[in-house]
Amino acid sequence: MAEPTGAPGRQPRATSSGPGRVLIAVYAIFALSATARAGVQIATKFSEAPVAYLLSGLAGVVYVLATIGLAGRSPGHRRLAWGAVVFELVGVLVVGTLTVFDTGDFPDDTVWSVYGRGYGFIPLVLPFIGLWWLRRTSSKG
Amino acid sequence: MIGVLEVVAYVVAAAVALYGLFTTIRNRPPDRTHRIAVGVFEAVLVVQAVVAAVRVFTGVQLPEQSTFLIYLLVSVCVMPIALQFATAEPTRWGGTVIAVGAIGTGVAVWRLHDLWVAGHG
Repeated sequence: MAEPTGAPGRQPRATSSGPGRVLIAVYAIFALSATARAGVQIATKFSEAPVAYLLSGLAGVVYVLATIGLAGRSPGHRRLAWGAVVFELVGVLVVGTLTVFDTGDFPDDTVWSVYGRGYGFIPLVLPFIGLWWLRRTSSKG
Repeated sequence: MIGVLEVVAYVVAAAVALYGLFTTIRNRPPDRTHRIAVGVFEAVLVVQAVVAAVRVFTGVQLPEQSTFLIYLLVSVCVMPIALQFATAEPTRWGGTVIAVGAIGTGVAVWRLHDLWVAGHG
């Protein structure tokens, strides 16, 4: 039987369809590069800058979770994507601001340093696009 | 690394990316031409990765050897995954997915270059 609220216009659209696939591709590349880089840093020279490398690792995990959330189709995936993208936005703003004012504890070594300058500022733009896309595809939109 | 191959890799990456964006603008899903273009790009990357890996394992010393080898692995893995993901849903956006993969791979090759140069003054 059809669900009572099954009017097609009110269903959330899949985040993994159409232009969403481009967004997922960008997130996947960041997930791959950030986790790979952090993995090497933590494995080979962790003691040099533990805070920065742990942060790199955390950023990598957040990108992985955002990729999984956006690629999935269930409400749980959507919640995961929301959480990861919001965390990503807060992360890039906080780390970016801290690194602009004080580079002491953060060598310019994480994805989020100076608002993602080392990555063409894509880490700063990406969460805004992510939030816009999640909102656009949600049932409320 | 290997000067000529690296330049060829950038040129092919740019061509693949532009063609992908072009078909998105023209509202066409990925087709046979995309597969061939990605295949050519991937062949260049595999040759580059094999030659570079052989040179690293036969004596070339790099300051960040493990990072270099991981980037080398990443450089050959991205395009097959991007092509698969781009063709799984045949819409205009497939071309842009391929373009994103090609640009990401180009950046990885660039990083490889920096890591290689760091070991050679």
